[in-house]
Amino acid sequence: MSASPAFVRPAEPNVGPSSAPRKSAPTASVSGDSSSHRNTSGFNTFNNRSVDVSLLKNLARDTLLEALTDIQGQKTLILDKALSGPLGLITDVSLLKHQAVEKMFWLEAGPLNAQTRHIVWLCRPKRQFMQIIADQIKAHQQLSNPSPASPTRSKGKLDEPSSAPHQHHTYTILCTPRITSLCRKVLEDLGVIGDVELREYRLEWIGMEDDLLSLEMENVARDVYLNGDDTPVFHASLALMTFQRAFGLFPRIVGKGDAAKRLFNLMQKHRQSDPATYGDLELSNQVDSLIIIDRSVDWVTPMCTQLTFEGLLDEYVGIKNSQIEVDPSLLSTNSSDSAPAASNSTDTFARVPTAPKKRKHHLSGLNDSVFADIRDLNFASVGARLSKIAKRLEGDYEARKGLKNVREMKDFVGRLGGLQSEHQALRLHTGLSEILMPITRSEEFSKMLEIQQNIIAGYNLSSQLDAIESLMNQEIPAMLVLRAAVLLHLAQGGIRQKMLENFKKEFLQASSVYGYHYLSLFIALESLNLLSKSPTITTFPQMRKPLRLLVDEVDDVNPNDISYVYSGYAPLSVRLVQCVSMKPAVLATSVTAHNNINTSVASTAERDDTAESVIPDTLPRAHAIVGWKGFEETVRAIPGATFDELQKPEHGGPLTNCSCFFRSSPQVSVLISFR
Amino acid sequence: MVSVSHPTHSWDIIQDVFYRKEQVYELTWQIPGLEDYRVAAAKSGGPIALLRDETKMVLLGRHNVGKPKIMVYSSSGIQIASLSWDLSPPVMIGWTPEEQLLVMAEDGTYRIYDLSAASAGISTRGGDPVAQSLIAGEYRQYTLGSEVADVGVISGQVHDEGFVVLTGSLAFVHVKGWKGGRAAALCATAKGPFHHIRPSPAGRFLALTTASSSLWVVSSDFSQSIADTDILTLEGNHDASMPNEVEWVGDQAIALKWDDGRLFVMGPQGEGLSYLYSPAPVLVGEIDGLRIISTETCEFIQKVAEPTLAVFRPGSTHKAAVLLEALENFEQGSPRANEGIRSIKPDLASAVDICIEAAGLEPDPVWQKKLLRAAMLGRSFLDLYNPTDLVNMAQSLKILNAVRHYEMSSYLHLRPEPVLKHWACAKIAAATMNSGAGGAREDEELRRIIVRKYETEGGKGAGGYAEIARRAWQLGRNKLATKLLDHERRPAEQVPLLLSMKEDRLALVKAVDSGDPDLVFHVLQHLRATNAPGDFFSMVDDGSTKLAPAAKLLQVYGKEGDKELLRDFYYQDDRWLDGALLSIEEAGETEHAQERLASWQHAVKDLGQDKERTFEHKMAEESLRLLTLQEQMERELEHKYAFSGLTLNETMSHLLRIGLGKRAEKIRSDWRVPDQRWWWIKLKALTANRDWEGLEAFAKSKKSPIGYEPFVKHLLSVNEPSRAAIFIGKCDVKNRVDLYIKCNEWVKAASECKDRGDRARLEHLKANAPTTLIQREIDDIIKSAPVKSGGGFFG
Repeated sequence: MSASPAFVRPAEPNVGPSSAPRKSAPTASVSGDSSSHRNTSGFNTFNNRSVDVSLLKNLARDTLLEALTDIQGQKTLILDKALSGPLGLITDVSLLKHQAVEKMFWLEAGPLNAQTRHIVWLCRPKRQFMQIIADQIKAHQQLSNPSPASPTRSKGKLDEPSSAPHQHHTYTILCTPRITSLCRKVLEDLGVIGDVELREYRLEWIGMEDDLLSLEMENVARDVYLNGDDTPVFHASLALMTFQRAFGLFPRIVGKGDAAKRLFNLMQKHRQSDPATYGDLELSNQVDSLIIIDRSVDWVTPMCTQLTFEGLLDEYVGIKNSQIEVDPSLLSTNSSDSAPAASNSTDTFARVPTAPKKRKHHLSGLNDSVFADIRDLNFASVGARLSKIAKRLEGDYEARKGLKNVREMKDFVGRLGGLQSEHQALRLHTGLSEILMPITRSEEFSKMLEIQQNIIAGYNLSSQLDAIESLMNQEIPAMLVLRAAVLLHLAQGGIRQKMLENFKKEFLQASSVYGYHYLSLFIALESLNLLSKSPTITTFPQMRKPLRLLVDEVDDVNPNDISYVYSGYAPLSVRLVQCVSMKPAVLATSVTAHNNINTSVASTAERDDTAESVIPDTLPRAHAIVGWKGFEETVRAIPGATFDELQKPEHGGPLTNCSCFFRSSPQVSVLISFR
Repeated sequence: MVSVSHPTHSWDIIQDVFYRKEQVYELTWQIPGLEDYRVAAAKSGGPIALLRDETKMVLLGRHNVGKPKIMVYSSSGIQIASLSWDLSPPVMIGWTPEEQLLVMAEDGTYRIYDLSAASAGISTRGGDPVAQSLIAGEYRQYTLGSEVADVGVISGQVHDEGFVVLTGSLAFVHVKGWKGGRAAALCATAKGPFHHIRPSPAGRFLALTTASSSLWVVSSDFSQSIADTDILTLEGNHDASMPNEVEWVGDQAIALKWDDGRLFVMGPQGEGLSYLYSPAPVLVGEIDGLRIISTETCEFIQKVAEPTLAVFRPGSTHKAAVLLEALENFEQGSPRANEGIRSIKPDLASAVDICIEAAGLEPDPVWQKKLLRAAMLGRSFLDLYNPTDLVNMAQSLKILNAVRHYEMSSYLHLRPEPVLKHWACAKIAAATMNSGAGGAREDEELRRIIVRKYETEGGKGAGGYAEIARRAWQLGRNKLATKLLDHERRPAEQVPLLLSMKEDRLALVKAVDSGDPDLVFHVLQHLRATNAPGDFFSMVDDGSTKLAPAAKLLQVYGKEGDKELLRDFYYQDDRWLDGALLSIEEAGETEHAQERLASWQHAVKDLGQDKERTFEHKMAEESLRLLTLQEQMERELEHKYAFSGLTLNETMSHLLRIGLGKRAEKIRSDWRVPDQRWWWIKLKALTANRDWEGLEAFAKSKKSPIGYEPFVKHLLSVNEPSRAAIFIGKCDVKNRVDLYIKCNEWVKAASECKDRGDRARLEHLKANAPTTLIQREIDDIIKSAPVKSGGGFFG
């Protein structure tokens, strides 16, 4: 889950009542981790003046290639499995081959079979990896270099050097994003530090979409909130510094949450302690602000079942690093080179044998127009949209019959590739919908949805735990049960001790998917105040109204508000971003739906939601950033630091205002001032 | 002006080539003879390291007995550092290209000293003997590995990219780089036919002294023999002995040295120049000549360079010589100056250039100035001349002269930082020498002076306080060091120094403040290694909010790979719950039933200590009880079945499936499993066993607490529609019709409608019936309805 999703908002040149009708929401978004989430097309380019993230995309790729080129000669690359996904998004096998990577293996315990002169491990700085690597180096040395001191005494002549020197291997560990002193220590203790070269590969931003960057770190929430290990926050701060080196200083940084504040503080610290690198940064003219929201501010949203097409895929099929594993029959194609599936499928690292049954497919709106079209639709309207696309395609194919002359024929053939790839995509997404359909139609699904919506709305809370328990008897997945229980806790400020203990007991005793080892998980949830006995402090209920979290009349098909993504619940974190960038969207009491909704402007919300709202043309749009103005009281009521700071270039003197809390403003008539 | 000897006074000729030998320094050191030492001098006039050669006999009382000491002197003989050596006897010393000193011990352990930090504190004028305790070089220590350690190291040689050692087993081992690279066997022989092999500075030739007592000069690929001279018959070699040292003098001549003090510089044809030293000097080959270090002087011998020859060669008619002569005439007011210049007018520009170059090659400022003046004179006759070279040369010479005469110069166009750093270190060293480690007042005063200077001179963002602080600490001024460190803005510099200063707590605080968890981990590792566990824990977990993140990270560190440490930590702090969690985690990781049992036992015990955790304690007990029971059942059933690791529900279900319903019932009552859950389990188990009779009996045993729809739906999910239909009669009336349809029982659905008098639904059924046969049957029901129902619902 993402700890500190951060939103970066492109600068707006011309704001004010007089500005011409604009396209809606701004913003590229960046996030700490998007194990499943992406941000949407929501971040429509503002007059096409979006931030060009290709700069950072290329940076990630080029630094990897450079790191490999630095090691000259044939090499064997041994890869941390968890990195294959992120790396698949920035490079592919052929590019690595150009860097003389001869063979690739997964980083796993066991002996190494590498003939190349250079052996390179690429991994996260984890202790267990260092142990495996040390073992492998020792074994490998024994095998290829039997003892250096075998004296061959010969007199009078210089011996020809034996063939041994040619067999030398060099060992390199590329740690990403940093080498930690812990790793160094392990290698030292195991006595191989002298044999291996340690290098860093600063993998930071990975371009997921044109408007979405992610750091693709795993277990961020666990590290930061449960274990108190701020390593991901530190890493994020460095990455944001890199971002600023590319695009200039964020003129304004607005944020909510203690971890968000720590991130902000670190960014200021880097500027101070490393003036050589960051001293001459100017204010950005491309980005007008950074919004940092930390996960602890909104635990509610990820507990709800996502209801968009992409969201449901994430819930029930699983999206990781933008990749989905599907039955190969869904990807197969008759004309192999024109189909997007073949070129898309980032089975970059799939050469390394894994379960061969399923194939990985890279889900991206960039080269899959069908997906771009439906990803953010509420699943209820996906079927209709798919059949519409199917009809259009059919029509396009039919057009060949009416071709009148050679020229038209040529045109048609030219478009054929596109049609075929679209056709292929259609097949895939229809197939995926067919997987989702029975799930969404099942009784358990609708029952769970009902429970969630009751809890969100605060309706009949007292009977929801019973309902959850009866679903538990039917052995629905453990995580769904727990998410519902956490939701209940958040909505009513804890659960009565007796009921809670009974619930836990049922859960621990229950069938295969549960079990006593979950006792640790319960204790962890309690320490995070996500599942504990009442009363505990909760602010969710009092947020419902001022942030308009519940929207009664939701049009799933032609949405006019972000709440359609959860069929009536507007994600809290999205509303917070809107508080900063799109205040009318939060305030609107009634918005008339429009029929001609630009469908490319949709939005998604996921379990991990850093989802961003996107609202069609005629709806509330982004305005100049004026911080939390108008929502100070509401936002402050949510636990965690609240801040709104201006950054200044170094030569303008140090930051003068270091207060981390919002400076309140007397002006309240927000609506008027922003319309 | 003092009269100065003409530059050619130091010239000598070998064949037709001029060589010059200049005294560079008179050495200030007090070394009676270099023959007792291993000597290593860094290239390009760099420092000289001396190490008592243990293999040589020595007069008693001439040297201190005990641990070897390595002394480092500048080229002028000023002591820079003194390093005590506490490892096995050193066998090799040498300098890396960065002027770091490498010292190799007999057992293959070696250290690379960085002396720049130490040297920063020396006040130079007059070479005051600085108290040796004050000087400690920083070093990194590496080893060549156990294999080399076993056989030992005999000797070695440092080159530009690494070093080679000869091991006790007469194998050559090569190490690349200076970062503890891996020792690689080079080739497996030692003794060649040559006593000396020396490549020339440019690498074109090799000079070899052969077994047949000749000096053989050959192109470096051995393809072309340049000279082969019999050493024994050399001029002055009266006892016909072999030299002890061979070095190149540039690329043209070779110096041979005998231990009795003879030095012979030999040209290509075998003739040369003889010198006599007493005692014998040390030769240091440089890229452009040869440094000769004797006990008293440091001399430099080199081929006279072209520009110098052009200007000063006796009888030179070169245009540059003419220009210099013109200058002399000009300064004497003679009109011949003009004449001379006009005679070389076409080449004047190049004459100016040569004079500038020659100025750079002269050691004496008097001649430097003269040559530069000549260049300036020539320049004034030129219309267009770019003065950059002249200005640069003047500047360089000024700096070089200043350095040679120990004058601080402000002509250096350097960043202020290193200069400030050097200044500050010297300041602290001087202050310390005058008054010892001063009191708090003096510390504060020094800090104030240094910080003020930094802020006024250093410009914005000047850093480097950590290095000054390190110096202060080395000089024994811990308080001052700590104060200075406070100004350091880079925590990554601050923290390691604080650790070496044993300011453990402060280091921890600073690491936490930095927000970089890796830095905290670094400190934790250090503290863990240097403290007893108890002290370590109480330092990290002192209950302050300041260090709270460190206590968290300690646990992360423990979980990553030091579980015992973590357990101690929890135990010491009565953190029973955390200890229990650790045990539960371990229980989940192990494959062995016994270990799992033991881990849960630990967890139960720990949780029992925590009065707040009665629920968790109970649950852990249950888990333990279940594991014990499972093990017991496995034994009783003669290991035909595996229960271990199953959850409670699974255990009951498993028992039901293998026909041990009694045992399942027993668990059910022992664990007080709620009816609802029990019914689900049994329903699923009986279905899985396809025990239809059992299922019906079970359904009838009492009123189902989960209702009967789950029966229908579950049977449908395993594709048993007809069996599912049996239970529809017990379901809620209003759902029955739909359920019958799901079970494909259209007729039953129809009769249900009929019973409820739902005519519209009946018609609907009829319309949607899958076959005509069924349609007809439904029709029959519709027709029979009024008669049978008698109630006349359809009216």
